[in-house]
Amino acid sequence: MSESSPHLVVRGVSKRYGPTTVLDHIDLTIRRGELVTLLGPSGCGKTTLLRAIAGLAQPDTGKVELAGRDITHVPPHKRNVGVVFQSYALFPHLTVAGNVAFGLKVRGMARREIDVAVDRALSLVKLGHLASRRISALSGGQQQRVALARAIAVEPDVLLFDEALSALDRKLREEMQVELRRLLQEVKATAIFVTHDQDEALTMSDRVAVMNKGRIEQLAEPRELYLRPASLFALNFVGLSTRISGTVLSADNGKVDVETKVGRLSALGNFQAGSPVIVAARPEQLRIGGEDETNSASGRVRSVVFQGSRTLVEVDAGAGESLLAELSGRDGAIPGVHDEIRLSWPVAETFAFPMEAQA
Amino acid sequence: MTRAAIIVCWVMAIGLALFLIIPLLVIAAASFSPTPVFDLPLTGASTRWYGRIGRLDGFWPSLLLSLQIALLSTVISLVCGTLAAIAIARGKLPGAGIFATALVSPLMMPGLVLGIALLQGFRAVGFTAPWATLLVAHLVITLPYVARTMISGLARFDFTLIEAARTLGCSYPGSVLRVMVPALAPSFLIAGIFSFLASFDNYPVSIFLADVRTKTLPIRMLQYIEEAPDPTLAALSTLILAGTVILLFVSDRVVGLHRMAGTSD
Ligand SMILES: Nc1ncnc2c1ncn2[C@@H]1O[C@H](COP(=O)(O)OP(=O)(O)OP(=O)(O)O)[C@@H](O)[C@H]1O
Ligand SMILES: [Mg+2]
Repeated sequence: MSESSPHLVVRGVSKRYGPTTVLDHIDLTIRRGELVTLLGPSGCGKTTLLRAIAGLAQPDTGKVELAGRDITHVPPHKRNVGVVFQSYALFPHLTVAGNVAFGLKVRGMARREIDVAVDRALSLVKLGHLASRRISALSGGQQQRVALARAIAVEPDVLLFDEALSALDRKLREEMQVELRRLLQEVKATAIFVTHDQDEALTMSDRVAVMNKGRIEQLAEPRELYLRPASLFALNFVGLSTRISGTVLSADNGKVDVETKVGRLSALGNFQAGSPVIVAARPEQLRIGGEDETNSASGRVRSVVFQGSRTLVEVDAGAGESLLAELSGRDGAIPGVHDEIRLSWPVAETFAFPMEAQA
Repeated sequence: MTRAAIIVCWVMAIGLALFLIIPLLVIAAASFSPTPVFDLPLTGASTRWYGRIGRLDGFWPSLLLSLQIALLSTVISLVCGTLAAIAIARGKLPGAGIFATALVSPLMMPGLVLGIALLQGFRAVGFTAPWATLLVAHLVITLPYVARTMISGLARFDFTLIEAARTLGCSYPGSVLRVMVPALAPSFLIAGIFSFLASFDNYPVSIFLADVRTKTLPIRMLQYIEEAPDPTLAALSTLILAGTVILLFVSDRVVGLHRMAGTSD
């Protein structure tokens, strides 16, 4: 099978619990070896989608294919998926090695092969020295690694992580993000992470699926997701932004002029004149000073937040609108609170989104 | 705490422990008495009373009956009680709390009341076969022990473990066997032991349901004491005591009494 052919295909999967639609016609195609993150707010259906792929929840409609096989009606134990649960779900009556060996024993593998596979999996997660420990005698980070070793030991067709890192403290979590990505690339695993931490999503994945209310709003590479958000929801959920509401004055070939309370702005988007829209730009696009051929607005500085390599400046532009600029240390003078300043940003980095889709 | 208070507490602890253990030591000592009447100080030791246990009138049928009833009621309670406990701990059963209370309520009821109630109830529906009524009555005695232990055991059981086992290639029944049963083994063991002991030494309920040919061991023992109070009974009691101690000791080796008592994980 080639590197780019579809490996996991979720097609039109829906799931309802009583009156609530938890998954709403989800389509998702993942290539072999790809690391994809499901990112979204609590209750948007991430866990449910993962469980549908693992076979722990039966979708009402739709199909799931894995490694060229239709597994929609295959029970979980015959799917060959690996799951790392948020609570790790390690077996308390078994040792570290016993946990890692569990899936291999169930598969009826020979004793000696099991030992080799367990050693390999444990050394991958750097836990070889703890093989005979009891689970209750491990730290949270170590338990996380055992759960990972247990899942990869059976060489699953896809690895599913449900907020697997969220129980770790911040520093350990950031270390594990980097280490996990390296490890998964090393074993050429295809993996789906579930998280509601946008930094984790951007760090870990080849592509990010932004989910909202049971739908995938956008599936894109981290960079594209940040630079070209497909919806207001995606814009809000990943990164910071300046957002100004207005009404389209005129539209022309993928570009619109918008009348707002802070002045006339131009943005990319296709709308009819008169449509209510939100005009948005990322904060690092905003610069101090007014230039030709750019959008600009002025106001009084409300707050200045120093964050090391960057400084966030929030400007009150009047009429309830505010501007957010991210200035790097090299941008020269940083304004003070209450200063009157003008900010400008390129039209090509300004987007218009329909107003009613506001999350 | 002041020194005096500490001393009072120590005296209490040691005194109570002696208070609980001394009668057991006395009966054990009496069972080795060389004379039919137990006297201190002992003038020697004899095991002849142990030899006479088996010759007691109706001893073997009663022992067999008690073991049968205790084992059967324990096994049935373990199966049924565990299923009921799953429904209560896990099954989103409406009014689960009420059912839980109902299941353990016989624990709080005086045995005499339970015995009379069962006797009247069985008569009312025309259920009078002695062996079967005894078994059903002992189910009432043992079920609460099992239900209580299994409900608290299951409340601490993480059902994600079963899902983890399934994704690792284990069928659903296989996952229950390989993961849930071992994880709940201490609960099963403690429930089984207490249920067995509760049935084996029950007197107040059994007395209402026994007849001349269907007498459990405790009923028979009380009868012996009325007829001929010699150290044979002490020997029998000592054997039962030893059996219980061995049972608890072995269970402790297997799962650890501290886990059984729920004082630590
Ligand atoms: N077994 C169930 N029965 C009824 N409703 C359920 C069930 N499982 C999930 N839901 C509902 O489905 C919705 C989505 O749940 P899901 O667990 O998939 O969300 P999530 O995106 O994983 O959220 P979180 O980030 O909080 O984990 C929620 O509203 C939840 O209440
Ligand atoms: Mg979830």
